[in-house]
Amino acid sequence: MKISLNWLKKYVNVPVSDSELIRLIGARLVEVEGVIDETHKYDNIYIVKVESCKKIPETHLSLCKINIGRDDLVQVVCGAPNVREGMLAVWTKPGAIVPASVHEDAPFVIGKRKMRGYESNGMLAGADELDFGDDHSGIVEIDPSMAKPGDLLADVFELNDLVLEIENKSLTHRPDTFGIIGFAREVAGILGYQFEYNSSSAGLVTSDFPISIADPNICKRYSVVVLERHGELKKKYLTWQDTILAKSGMRPIEPIVDATNYLMLLTGQPLHAFDYDKFVKVGGTGEAIINIRLAKKGEKLTLIDDKEVVLNENDIVICSNNNPVALAGAMGGKETEITDQTRKIILESATFSLYNLRKTQMAHGIFSEAITRFTKGQPAYQTLVVAESCAELLADGFKIVSVGDEYPNPEKENVVKITTEEINGLLGTNYSKELIIKTLEHVGFKIDKDGELLAISAPAWRTDIHIKEDIIEEVGRLLGYDNIEPTLPLHKTATKNEMFELKRNIRESMSKYGANEVLTYSFVSENLLQKVGQDVKNSYKIVNSISPELQYIRQSIVPNLLEKAYLNEKLPVEKFAIYEMNKVYRKDLENNEEGVPNEKMSFGFVVAERKNNETAFYKAKKYAEQLFKEFNISVDFVPIKRETPESKPFEPKRTAEILVDGKYVGVVGEFKNSVRNSFKLAPYLAGFEIDLDLVLKKKGKKSGINFGKRTFEDYTLTTTRNYDEALKEVKEKYPNAVKISPLSIYQPAGSEAKNISFHIELML
Amino acid sequence: MVEKNELSELKAELKSINLEAAKIRELPVEERADFGKKINARRQDILSKIAEAEKALLDVEVEALDVTAWSGVNESLPEFYPAELGSKHPLMTELDRVIEIYELMGFDVVESRQLDDEFHMFDSLNFPKEHPARDGYDTFRTEEGLIPPAHTSTMQHRVLKQFKKNLDNGQAIAVVVPGRVFRNEDVDATHEHTFYQCEGVYVSEDCNMGQMLGILREFFEKYYEQKLNIRTQPGYFPFTEPSLEFMIEKPKSLGGKKGDYLEMLGCGMIHPNVLKMAGIDPSKYHGFAWGGGIDRLVMLRYGLNDVRHFESGNLNFLREF
Repeated sequence: MKISLNWLKKYVNVPVSDSELIRLIGARLVEVEGVIDETHKYDNIYIVKVESCKKIPETHLSLCKINIGRDDLVQVVCGAPNVREGMLAVWTKPGAIVPASVHEDAPFVIGKRKMRGYESNGMLAGADELDFGDDHSGIVEIDPSMAKPGDLLADVFELNDLVLEIENKSLTHRPDTFGIIGFAREVAGILGYQFEYNSSSAGLVTSDFPISIADPNICKRYSVVVLERHGELKKKYLTWQDTILAKSGMRPIEPIVDATNYLMLLTGQPLHAFDYDKFVKVGGTGEAIINIRLAKKGEKLTLIDDKEVVLNENDIVICSNNNPVALAGAMGGKETEITDQTRKIILESATFSLYNLRKTQMAHGIFSEAITRFTKGQPAYQTLVVAESCAELLADGFKIVSVGDEYPNPEKENVVKITTEEINGLLGTNYSKELIIKTLEHVGFKIDKDGELLAISAPAWRTDIHIKEDIIEEVGRLLGYDNIEPTLPLHKTATKNEMFELKRNIRESMSKYGANEVLTYSFVSENLLQKVGQDVKNSYKIVNSISPELQYIRQSIVPNLLEKAYLNEKLPVEKFAIYEMNKVYRKDLENNEEGVPNEKMSFGFVVAERKNNETAFYKAKKYAEQLFKEFNISVDFVPIKRETPESKPFEPKRTAEILVDGKYVGVVGEFKNSVRNSFKLAPYLAGFEIDLDLVLKKKGKKSGINFGKRTFEDYTLTTTRNYDEALKEVKEKYPNAVKISPLSIYQPAGSEAKNISFHIELML
Repeated sequence: MVEKNELSELKAELKSINLEAAKIRELPVEERADFGKKINARRQDILSKIAEAEKALLDVEVEALDVTAWSGVNESLPEFYPAELGSKHPLMTELDRVIEIYELMGFDVVESRQLDDEFHMFDSLNFPKEHPARDGYDTFRTEEGLIPPAHTSTMQHRVLKQFKKNLDNGQAIAVVVPGRVFRNEDVDATHEHTFYQCEGVYVSEDCNMGQMLGILREFFEKYYEQKLNIRTQPGYFPFTEPSLEFMIEKPKSLGGKKGDYLEMLGCGMIHPNVLKMAGIDPSKYHGFAWGGGIDRLVMLRYGLNDVRHFESGNLNFLREF
């Protein structure tokens, strides 16, 4: 939403500087995303009088002498069909920048030039060039009662302006501020003034206009004013209203539409105009009968933008008799569109269910200024008054012939009872009762004092006020949250989160051992799951994923690491060990007692080297062993006997399952050749995947540290058995060994047996 | 199990199909298209069978390892890589720091879920059903209607219930919830669909907004290791009332100038409906909550200008940390 400060100041007295005003709006009302500086947009642009105007033969051009408020006249060549002697026009002086091009990379500067041999000093401007719309049919004409030759255009229309760009999201609950009056009311409150605004409503008398609302939940109130043409609505002069529409990001189009748009910007209440005769024709009964109901599935409607939409059961439709003529709140229908031939109009002013309109918005992709306001939940109190104001704007051409207003369940006044202690208690402030009362009254709240208890009635436009906290918010906000003194409560001692502690320790140790922590996406592609042999159906599938690359939730960490290993081998990084600790989800893990999927904290690790002929398995195993050593967990590596989702990419003949007290906690191994090939990785490649939740459960303390003197011995045995059995034998031989570490495994050429050597530390 | 001779049989079949295919020229023109289509289908079928067989063979010809050993036979002992190659992910290092500061300030820590349901993501947070405010979160959804959460507030209801016993013991609920969150957004230098947030929840009998501002200022001063000016602006979240955006003046050490404010997080007093749903009496207890991104905090601290580095896995970047 865009807010012109000059327009805002029409409704509220602002004694502070613009920058302070913008700061206060930001601090106490809404996020200001940006400020468009238009203070020099209309420099060197003047209102002038065309004193003489002669056709240049054999061209469409006219040679004009214009009065720019000085004694001498200036010569300008003009090609517009509507230029004529005696009119007031807008002149961009040589050197002026065309306003419509101000924000372009190369703004267009008006010069002095010859056209067909005649010198033209500057240009008489059209609405499009002045950035007041798309109209390029002629030059802009100025009402002589508003200005005289030589006046700056910017002075007459207050165009030297700052326009605020407002972040709509932070006003989701404040439909009343989507009109300048509501916005100004808040600004008055923030500045500490009583807000005054009197709409000129005379109060319309409703006649018996047949309106029926199928369900008050979809349409709280539906008001119409029927207008009949009695004269011409002439759009001759540039108006203040045109400039406001342009500054607010809308474009002047046509007098009736412009009037409805202007009132929406003023009050927040969107309006729609139907052609009365067409409306009656669609109904087929010979009279105008309005029905508001939900659409029937499959009903069709052609909208003003010529698109035919197939309606859903959530869409609200306005019907003539029973035939849809408009998609409520979103867009009118083609069949009942007004034209300059329109004899009578039905002016609609209504409120609709924001929930239904939200679905309409999503289903049909309509994001207009009107529906943006409706989906905030416009209050019902002002529908009729706004329609009346619109009729007044059109009074030159139209008069009111009948009025309808269907409001089955009028909104009740919301009253909240609260004490000043409660307000100050939640804010941490010490505001006086008088200050609180005044602050609320400034923006339209009514307050009954009953001793300490304040009975606060919300004004009709504040349908969002229901509970004490809503009142507390008003007080805190209008008086400025920044005036609240920050304090610190006494705190208790926190209990450490053991998983974070565990991960922190792993991070420390892994980086000490030269490994690199990475983070990868939780979302993976179907292709990745297939490459590593995981069952795609076991992954949760995202229905609205950004791309096929991010369509499934990963089952384990290692597959992502293999992808990153490829990236790094390509960089190239010669050797690396990468790891990630993160949550994984799989359908086979089922749901927990809350009914949401069980999760696992998984530790994935991959080691890779571009050139190495040795066996990568043992490097990965060394890192895995270190992890368990770190947490004093004794662990066994045995040939893998099972298949789990995380073990899928691993080659069973070169993979161990990791057991703690006989319980499976993960796998370490090399990958299947087919997997390694599909990732285009070099042969030296291994990894592991470990369940950290289980590691945390088994975590132990260091015990029995022995500080005594030691003696060392190396021992080699020659055997055809595996390493584990050899180790057992050594342990039996040295029952008092403090530590037994590996030295080498050597197999002489042509021998069946291996020489396995150990280094043994013994107590003296 | 695929045998080598099976592969050679498949290859022989391919050869014969290719020979057959060559006969296409002898056929009348009108029959060629149909013939070509059929033979091509057969060829594709055999090719994919050959690919399968080759892939399977790759995995068959593997030698078994002694997985109980510490090294390969006649190979050197494996060694760790040197410490200077090692690195911790900057996001995780900073998240650890954030947690440590909150822990010292008395906050318990619970990690956020990465797959949750509509109830925790929206319903329990006082988002009316079908309310337009739900659209602002650009959530992903699974086929089952589960949601990879778009904010760590998805844990609020859980931590309120889990730590409610603190209140009965006369203590405050004070919890922070760090975690990974997801939004359906196009990725560019300042937007990621996957990022980290940290939520804070505080409930006691006498807590107020002044305490919320105090705790937040304290945290940021500890994090940036200097005194800071703070500022707020009104915001809207269905689960807090009043709701605020919290800003700090950009720290001088990071090149900030006076009046240069940065939006750090959203916060507010917990809506009574949220307390009520968790079984906490809102007439007796009040609370406040906040949530903000970690990625931006870290980018600011290290002067990084592209959020995409974090999930890139690129070691030329990560080994700098």
